[in-house]
Amino acid sequence: MSTRLEARNITKRFGGLEALRGVSVTAQDEILGLIGPNGAGKTTLFNIICGFLRPTSGAVIFEDRAIHTKRTHEITQSGIARTFQIVKPFSDLTVLDNVLAGLGCHIYATPRVFAEQYSTRTTIEPAREILAFTDLTKWADTLAGNLPIGLQRKLEIARALATQPRLLLLDEPAAGLTSGEADELAVLVRKLRAQGKTIIVIEHNMAFAMNLCQRIVVLAQGEIIAQGTPAQVQTDERVINAYLGH
Amino acid sequence: MSIAQNLSNAMVLASTYILIAIGLTMVYGVLKVLHVAHAGVYASGAFVGLGAFNFVRPFCTPTLEDARLASNLAFWISLPIAMIVSGVMGALIYLLIYRYTWGKSPTISLVASVGLFTLIQDLLQKPFLLGPRQQPYPAGGAGMPRIETPWFMITPTQVLILFVTLILLAIVYVILNRTRIGLGWQAASLDPEMAAAVGVNVTHVIVLNFFLGSMLAGAAGVLVGVYDNMVFSTMGDVPSYKAFVVVVLGGLGSVPGTIVASIVLAVTETFMVAFAGSLMPRDAIAFLVLILLLMFRPRGLLGRA
Amino acid sequence: MDYFVSLAVFAGIWVVLALSLNILMGFAGQVSLGQAAFFAIGAYTSALCALKFDQPFFVGFFAAILVTGFVGAFLGLPSLRVRHDFLVLATMGVNFVVVAIFKYVDFFGGALGLIDIPTPRFFGVNNDIPYLILVWLYVGAAILISWYISKTWTGLALNAVRINEEAAAAVGISVPRFKIYAFIVSAALAGGAGSLYAHYLKSLFPDNFNFIESIVILSMVVVGGVGTLRGPIIGAIILRALPELLREVHDYRFTLYGGLIVLMMLFQPMGLLGDDSTLMRGLRRLFVRKEKVDYEHAA
Ligand SMILES: Nc1ncnc2c1ncn2[C@@H]1O[C@H](COP(=O)(O)OP(=O)(O)O)[C@@H](O)[C@H]1O
Ligand SMILES: [Mg+2]
Repeated sequence: MSTRLEARNITKRFGGLEALRGVSVTAQDEILGLIGPNGAGKTTLFNIICGFLRPTSGAVIFEDRAIHTKRTHEITQSGIARTFQIVKPFSDLTVLDNVLAGLGCHIYATPRVFAEQYSTRTTIEPAREILAFTDLTKWADTLAGNLPIGLQRKLEIARALATQPRLLLLDEPAAGLTSGEADELAVLVRKLRAQGKTIIVIEHNMAFAMNLCQRIVVLAQGEIIAQGTPAQVQTDERVINAYLGH
Repeated sequence: MSIAQNLSNAMVLASTYILIAIGLTMVYGVLKVLHVAHAGVYASGAFVGLGAFNFVRPFCTPTLEDARLASNLAFWISLPIAMIVSGVMGALIYLLIYRYTWGKSPTISLVASVGLFTLIQDLLQKPFLLGPRQQPYPAGGAGMPRIETPWFMITPTQVLILFVTLILLAIVYVILNRTRIGLGWQAASLDPEMAAAVGVNVTHVIVLNFFLGSMLAGAAGVLVGVYDNMVFSTMGDVPSYKAFVVVVLGGLGSVPGTIVASIVLAVTETFMVAFAGSLMPRDAIAFLVLILLLMFRPRGLLGRA
Repeated sequence: MDYFVSLAVFAGIWVVLALSLNILMGFAGQVSLGQAAFFAIGAYTSALCALKFDQPFFVGFFAAILVTGFVGAFLGLPSLRVRHDFLVLATMGVNFVVVAIFKYVDFFGGALGLIDIPTPRFFGVNNDIPYLILVWLYVGAAILISWYISKTWTGLALNAVRINEEAAAAVGISVPRFKIYAFIVSAALAGGAGSLYAHYLKSLFPDNFNFIESIVILSMVVVGGVGTLRGPIIGAIILRALPELLREVHDYRFTLYGGLIVLMMLFQPMGLLGDDSTLMRGLRRLFVRKEKVDYEHAA
């Protein structure tokens, strides 16, 4: 197994608040779960990996290249895509155009961006494939903002996939889903894993994470308090305490 | 001119900035709306004050032999009238416009505000209101004394501006810090939903907020009208912009910050003009300051990031 | 006749201005209250080319487009730091500063303005008809450019930036770069309009480009429908031609602009012909119902 992503000794301060304190995480070719109580710093870690935030100290290495000084769009172009905890679809574009926006990832930095139309047969075909893969085909022409939350979360995954990432970061993808929808989501994530993508999932719902992930990192108050297989983590005393709020 | 003289002139200028900008900053504090039409209220205040002054003065003359006294009395009657009309105007602006645009994209409120400002200014220059030409507002110092020291001199009109500003600031201070509604405003500007949850009537607070802020702007219009001895329909143009410089400089929503920022801007302008001469029109300084400020501190000088 | 020619020339110029702001505002979501500054820079560039450097019209015209495009890139910089309402303030400031520069620097004619700007004559015709055609050719170009942008990846990227900057960055879009693109295209279009304006008017004064002109341009876009192509075009024609045709309305032009803006923001923030406006929904409903009937007939 090669190391896909390595976050080395990340510290992030917001004014007086230390949201992350010396956090080191590596992701191999796997589904890695990142769990922890609210405010633990999980989203902050994603924001640092994606270049939305700069770490106060520490480094992020993606496939042997340091990316923590790069900007978000460059990081996306280099192969990392994400979804947002608070969904941010392009709400007044159709579902299909949302996916096309993701497909443009490797065009935006080239002169083709001025010359080529975005909605042609050669672009729509792969976009529709992604819609079919994420089971969104029948919503293709709906405005993204009109979808229910569960479908918006799926659309975010579809849009992220369209950028052809090798590392996919999912921020609480199961939040607000019914248990049926969550099961479907788990199937989808496993399919992505089978395609060779590395996936990091933030999850609030313990059961969902335990079931889906091969390895789990537990974050509380900006520090890693445990990591290991779901079984190891589940019985860890500190984890139980953190979740009970002691 | 001596440094002391420049400073005292700057304080007079700062007073007018303070009166205009406090209303804006209060509105921004609660609604997060850039209330451009505030400058329309300011110009309307000057117009109403002038109208009241011209209307009342003939009635004062027969009773008071001295024309000076009559004019002074007319001024002191016209000032509160202008303030009340401006206050009502501000409250109506909220009730008729921002109440409905609030909560949508901030651009919608802003564009509506710009439209309203355009409308007010254009109406003001119609012949049945101010007319296209400037009108004198000859109230002089309204009975204020002249202050003379070896270092600087303050004209009666300048004394008038400083005096009225101090009184109004004291009133605002008491209202904001000592009354239920003032505390409600402070709560609402921190978090309107939370304030509503603990029983603050947010609508009342906002209406009062507009009333108070617009009253101050109306007073500023009257004072500037008297100081320059002229009132004209587009007198809100420059303040509309400068007041924002002050508000942004002062940290958006902070009343003390606004006062400090008014003084800083007024002093800077006065000394730039005094020592750099007419290199640049005075007003352009404010615009440049704002653009640069927004570039380097997009959330204001004292604003939280 | 001359009257209608001049009306049509001005209408064309304002259609371009509305379209130019639409690229910035409707596509990229960057609200600017300084569009008149770009208009002014184009007008002055072109006029100075003719007056100080004796250049023919087309040299001035293209110089205007180039110079304004360049300045647009520069003045777009605040949009990278400042968002939403604060950007509006910054662009307002740009408008004031640009007008102040033209007013106080002698090279630009100062408060006395520039006079005797030649109106070009084409094909030996001694009236303004060829010029009118030129103006509307430029309008056509502006429409084509707007339409083309909306179809390309650039248009999709601008849309993404407008809707959500973070999500845009997360699909690989360089938000700053696309904002600057929008400023360049928008400014350049307005600059060309400025050139056409200068050579038609023959004289220029800084006050022609006051803040109120930016408001007028904004009203056109907002009243017509932000982000669509039809909206700004119709908005500009209505707001430019209507007051000219009705004298009484003309005196209350700015009251009308102001009032319309307020009413639109209250009741139809998407504009008369915006995608989700009452009018468009009504039209669409009519249209769709007819289609259904046809479908039933066929079946
Ligand atoms: N941009 C920010 N500015 C200031 N504080 C922040 C910011 N983002 C997150 N925080 C703070 O950092 C802490 C961790 O937040 P977050 O990473 O969102 O937690 P989680 O996703 O684990 O629930 C919280 O206390 C939050 O308030
Ligand atoms: Mg989170």
